[in-house]
Amino acid sequence: MDLRFSDEDRDFRARARQWLAANVPSTPRPAGGHSASQFDRDWQRKLYEHGWAGVAWPKEFGGMGLSGLQQVIWYEELSRAHAPAAHVSTTYVAQMHAGPTVIARGTEEQKAFHLPRILSGESLWCQGFSEPGAGSDLAALRTSGRIEGDHLVVNGAKMWTTDAMYADWMELLIRTDPDSQRHKGLTWLAFDMKSPGIDIKPIRTMLMDDHVNMVFFDEVRVPLSAVVGELGGGWSTAMATLSFERGLGFIADQLELFEKVGRAIELASELKDADGRPAIEDVEIARRLATIKAETMAIRAMTLADIAETDRTGIPGPKGSMMKLKVTATHKALSRLVSDILGWQFFEFDGNRNNNLWTHDFLWSWVFSIAGGSSEIQREITADRVLELPRSR
Amino acid sequence: MYLAPEGEELEIATAAADFIADALPIARLHEGGGSDMGAELRASLGEMGWFALALDEDRGGSGLSAVEHALFFREVGRQCGPLDILVQALGVQCAQDLTLRAELVAGESGVALLMPDSDRHRLIGGTEARYGLFVTPQGAALHDLSVAKIEPRPALDPANSLAIVSGLGPAIATRDGAQIWQLGQVGTAAMLLGLAEAALDLIVEYAKVRETFGKPIGAWQAVRHTCADMAVSNEGARSQLWYAATALKEARGDASAHLDAAKHLANEAAQFATDSNIQLHGGIGVTDEHDAHLLMKHAALLARLFGSRNDLLARLLHAELED
Ligand SMILES: Cc1cc2nc3c(=O)[nH]c(=O)nc-3n(C[C@H](O)[C@H](O)[C@H](O)COP(=O)(O)OP(=O)(O)OC[C@H]3O[C@@H](n4cnc5c(N)ncnc54)[C@H](O)[C@@H]3O)c2cc1C
Repeated sequence: MDLRFSDEDRDFRARARQWLAANVPSTPRPAGGHSASQFDRDWQRKLYEHGWAGVAWPKEFGGMGLSGLQQVIWYEELSRAHAPAAHVSTTYVAQMHAGPTVIARGTEEQKAFHLPRILSGESLWCQGFSEPGAGSDLAALRTSGRIEGDHLVVNGAKMWTTDAMYADWMELLIRTDPDSQRHKGLTWLAFDMKSPGIDIKPIRTMLMDDHVNMVFFDEVRVPLSAVVGELGGGWSTAMATLSFERGLGFIADQLELFEKVGRAIELASELKDADGRPAIEDVEIARRLATIKAETMAIRAMTLADIAETDRTGIPGPKGSMMKLKVTATHKALSRLVSDILGWQFFEFDGNRNNNLWTHDFLWSWVFSIAGGSSEIQREITADRVLELPRSR
Repeated sequence: MYLAPEGEELEIATAAADFIADALPIARLHEGGGSDMGAELRASLGEMGWFALALDEDRGGSGLSAVEHALFFREVGRQCGPLDILVQALGVQCAQDLTLRAELVAGESGVALLMPDSDRHRLIGGTEARYGLFVTPQGAALHDLSVAKIEPRPALDPANSLAIVSGLGPAIATRDGAQIWQLGQVGTAAMLLGLAEAALDLIVEYAKVRETFGKPIGAWQAVRHTCADMAVSNEGARSQLWYAATALKEARGDASAHLDAAKHLANEAAQFATDSNIQLHGGIGVTDEHDAHLLMKHAALLARLFGSRNDLLARLLHAELED
């Protein structure tokens, strides 16, 4: 065992820190709307122009070809520099799983077209997997595609599509064989969001925002050249997408938590309770903070252990689900605790995360433990793949 | 950067697992095997050099680090091994005098743990001990027990004896600094991790074979999901222990903070896993003949040592951490 980063890694950290210190935008990301997605595109463009785009992507596809550990370093430095966070950006789907799916399963033409656009921030993507009747049970999806010549004609509805209104492309998973059941007969499309016949309807959430949407498809024509992977082999392509999402998809959240606990401790030292005492002098608050600090240390150690192992073997292990369970639970405990520290400030919320990040975080903690595979589903995956218990389904 | 046992570390872990499973299998506690090491086992552990694993070479030890120390005590924990194995290894670190140190390294005489308890001391693992070791984060002291009054008490945890000591004489050896305390933290955290892993292994195996309502209990989500939660907390405790032991080995400035976190997480993981293991076994889980209660009782004791929950958390709150 060894905690020392190599000279190369330390040098990478120093370069990243220096560049970020000079280049992090001085204005905060707008809380929502097109100005937010424009901000995300601009930041992505800047990363691209200075050679910091595609941290997880192989060099041959224009990425940086970083090792897993260097990616950890990159996300730690982003968080430390208060740089625009990768996981709250409208570039997230494109960078973290659409691009990698195209790299893994796309044709040469698809790679040549999509990858440079993703890296430069020109293309934003959204994920069109879930439907009103298919969430945890994704294989129950019913949005259909009928083959007509060299086109597919799509009908149906997707639900929970985050940032659909800003996206240029969608990872669209549909049923192309009408007689098929479950995992068979599905197809994964790189879908152009400018296609005629789609209708996007925002869903207002308890966070008082409108980032998630219903997307309706009415006789929408898609060329067969948009199929990524095999026609009818969409389940396999979708599993590749989810493996990227579940592998390093939450790495930014994992590492940011470490930074957040530090801020919560500062906050508890500054803010006074109704009796005029700093919150941190309350023994219960102090212990809860320290408990959460210990959990975030464990999350960092788990992240490093898992990534160093993957760097060595080249094969990601089955531990992503365990990681997500721990990160979401710790995130929830932290935001619940800060809600106690904040006193009345906690209740002042207008839906703008920039005005009250902690309350936004508190509300978001449920999204975190439901979206991208709920905690119950993560426990199922852990029981199946890590513990190899008898199947429940 | 690598955070799992590798190379020679793995060899030591395997050798320890084999030796411990053979010399003190958990089954001993069902076969009327007494608490503590006993003179015979102590001598054979001494002969193998296990007490001197982390002792410097120029002091007669193997010159290995906190990492190997952790790997060894994880195996001890898995078999519900008695605490005095660890205390012997700590006593070795405290003994300055050559003859005394050699006596302890060889396991010729035993060392038990002294814990302050109002105006007297508790002695854990002292049925055959000649010395008592008192450890704080500031330093450690060895006392000769032959002059003290020792009153045996009944012990909840069958792995270790329990007694009350009064009239403790002056220390015969002392060592300043945090080192012994830190090795105590690594050792108890590793034993707790071993207990937590043993508890999870037991329930996962049982969940595959015990059937209710026509299917194995491992197919019921209330059982599966609790097992998954145990796996997650064990994974966190294990990763943090590897991190902390390596930080100690590399003499990093933030080692003590990582050790406090590691001990805390091991306390929590072991208590959660050993508790849930009993529950998910159903009635068989509360029987004397099952291992489940042995794991739970041992974990309850170890969780009190080398930093109770409140001490650990208080120190951790403001501790600074490095990259
Ligand atoms: C804010 C937000 C953003 C999202 N963004 C996207 C997006 O961009 N693209 C996209 O495709 N999807 C997105 N999702 C959808 C998300 O992936 C689903 O909400 C999630 O997978 C859960 O599915 P569901 O909502 O249908 O809940 P259901 O599947 O109906 O589950 C209901 C409850 O039952 C539990 N449950 C379900 N099955 C089991 C089981 N087998 N065992 C035990 N418990 C079970 C669940 O954990 C949950 O608690 C988003 C969701 C949210 C809330």
